[in-house]
Amino acid sequence: MAHKITRKMDLNKDDFYVEVEAPLVAERFKAGNFVILMTVPQGERIPMSIMKAEDGKIAMFIKKLGKTSRELYKSLDQFEHVIGPMGKPIEIKKYGTVVVASDLVCGHAENYAICKALKEAGNRVISFQTFPTKDDVYPEEVWTKEVCDEFHLTTEDGSMGEEGHYIDLLEEMLENGEKVDIVFAGGSLPNLKELGEMTKEYGIPTIVTVRQIMVDASGMCGACRVFIDGEMQLACIDGPMFDAHKVDWDAALRRPSMYQSKEAIALQKCIEAGRC
Amino acid sequence: MAVKPRVPVREQPVEQRIHNFDSVPYGYSEEEAIAEAQRCIQCPDPTCEAGCPVNIKIKDMIRLIRERKFEESYRLVKKDNAFPACTGRVCPQEDQCEGVCILAKVGQPINIGKLEAFVADWAREHNVEEDKVSSSKPQKVAVIGSGPAGLACAAELRKFGYQVTMFETLHKPGGVLVYGIPNFRLPKEIVQHEIDYLEEIGVEIKLNITIGQNISFDELREQYDAIFLGTGAGAPQFMGIEGEKLNGVYSANEFLIRANLMKSYLFPEWDTPIVVGKKVGVIGAGNVAMDAARTALRLGAEEVSIIYRRTMEYSPARDEEIEHAREEGIIFRELINPVRIVDDGKGWVKGIEVVKMELGEKDSSGRPRPVPIKGSEYIIELDTVIEALGTVPNRLFLSRTPGLKTDKKGVIIVDDKLMTSIEGVFGGGDAISGAATVIKALGEGKRAAEFIRDYLESKK
Repeated sequence: MAHKITRKMDLNKDDFYVEVEAPLVAERFKAGNFVILMTVPQGERIPMSIMKAEDGKIAMFIKKLGKTSRELYKSLDQFEHVIGPMGKPIEIKKYGTVVVASDLVCGHAENYAICKALKEAGNRVISFQTFPTKDDVYPEEVWTKEVCDEFHLTTEDGSMGEEGHYIDLLEEMLENGEKVDIVFAGGSLPNLKELGEMTKEYGIPTIVTVRQIMVDASGMCGACRVFIDGEMQLACIDGPMFDAHKVDWDAALRRPSMYQSKEAIALQKCIEAGRC
Repeated sequence: MAVKPRVPVREQPVEQRIHNFDSVPYGYSEEEAIAEAQRCIQCPDPTCEAGCPVNIKIKDMIRLIRERKFEESYRLVKKDNAFPACTGRVCPQEDQCEGVCILAKVGQPINIGKLEAFVADWAREHNVEEDKVSSSKPQKVAVIGSGPAGLACAAELRKFGYQVTMFETLHKPGGVLVYGIPNFRLPKEIVQHEIDYLEEIGVEIKLNITIGQNISFDELREQYDAIFLGTGAGAPQFMGIEGEKLNGVYSANEFLIRANLMKSYLFPEWDTPIVVGKKVGVIGAGNVAMDAARTALRLGAEEVSIIYRRTMEYSPARDEEIEHAREEGIIFRELINPVRIVDDGKGWVKGIEVVKMELGEKDSSGRPRPVPIKGSEYIIELDTVIEALGTVPNRLFLSRTPGLKTDKKGVIIVDDKLMTSIEGVFGGGDAISGAATVIKALGEGKRAAEFIRDYLESKK
């Protein structure tokens, strides 16, 4: 039952790359889908974005945050369960010019998957990957460069690539008259909210990943409920990608903080046990 | 006629049990079971059996207990019900077998539930070997969902000799028996034992598989000769009132899935956290509400109340659950209905505003309709709100199954032979009835298996 990890590598000081055997997921994965991971039998069910799926394996980018991710990084060579694909894939079709943007770990994985799918569907794909500084930039082999038509590596302090966050650089591009038919983005939730506010002014459809805490991820618990145009939807089965212009961002930004104090306890215990 | 009272069921003392998730009742000993069985007058025409949704031969089950033939009693029960340790614990016996027991008219009915659980527990503890499945037929049947309906259907189909594969989305089989009903009411090792039996007789259980995601429904139809849908009614409902977006608001489903399936009560030994405040309000008064309330109490809440718009006499919960909740100190706030959840200014729950209700004319459920009393609103201080308002079918499966007819709530429509709008595809349990009981789902799963057999044999 367990899923063997076939490759692990550092992406930067906080994030790492994991490749794992998951033939059932790899076979059916489409851009926009995610997986549920349980690292150990007593583990949580955590949702994770997929960068690519091939040869019966999936690759993911994971941030060392709490107990689950740190223990995975330090001590594990397999997953107890890798369940999926979950969620609704994006609509893969010819839109014209597509921008795909990201500024955080899962967002970068989604960026790769979406670029690849939409380029294959005949779109002109412009990809932005934003990191805080050059020290945070991932190794070149996982950039979206190879799966898009126009690649923009950006750092917020300008220490590598173009200077600035993708929101500002995209706005500049739009100001300069670039015609963009749709934007897909993932990463920091507050930034996705801001992106939506910006693209709304330009009237560009914007589909973003509204990352929420999940438990069963099959529509049963309601933990990942988000409000789209006032209607309750579930990120696990109706999403995780939604129209940024319709999301109730206040609620979406608040919910992920619900377990912060508990998560600190679990991490502390794991560190004491020498596994994190 | 003087009727002896029931042999009392020994239980974990209240003070002790509110701090753990172990079973509340200890169950009958052999001598207690025999004494209780001796109260049975062995009616020539046993009404209890007619009151049982799976028609267990209750009279003979009791007679055999009386004769100390526990193994025979178990084998007899198991013929009609593959899950006696579960149903003995969770059936609403007062509305079924015990409700129509002749003794109920003159005193207390036989404690049929506890006797059923006794024989099942006895067999498990004495490692009684299960009857083997002797016949083998080539036809393949897929059972979708491993909750009560799917389990019962799979067990029965396998006994008929068919090749049965059961698909489950979650990482553990059992459906509501595992993710919903708490350990203190239905210990999980007991559920596992009854599921193990299915594997012993050759049912293949495939976990972590979502039909429509991992395998399309059409592929499944090509690969199997018949399909049973036991997809349940697992999706939560919310009231739709102001403040539901706040942190500290749970669906009972989420609360119970965290506690039961993910074993949050063992956090941080188990990884899934759960947040329980000091003052917890549970909206609703059914079994799920009782389970959530008693779970919250065990997780350390100081005050847990049930918020119910009717009075408890109209609660749909089992008598035993209400009684246990009452003993454990759960507060019943009756005749009030939530209007909004109050924000503490930091995005968390601070209280709930309710309006007082009075009982009016009877509604379609036969219970008096609660009517709000204007201007009677007030606020109850709470930091956690759990909504236990009943569940509806999960649209995940339905959205990936084109051609399957449902009503507007997503309840799958079946004919009198439990066949859906798609030929060879049958349904049972909450998926076809909305939300009902474990035993009703077991009964339908079993009946569906018979119709599936008829269907498969007619196609030869």
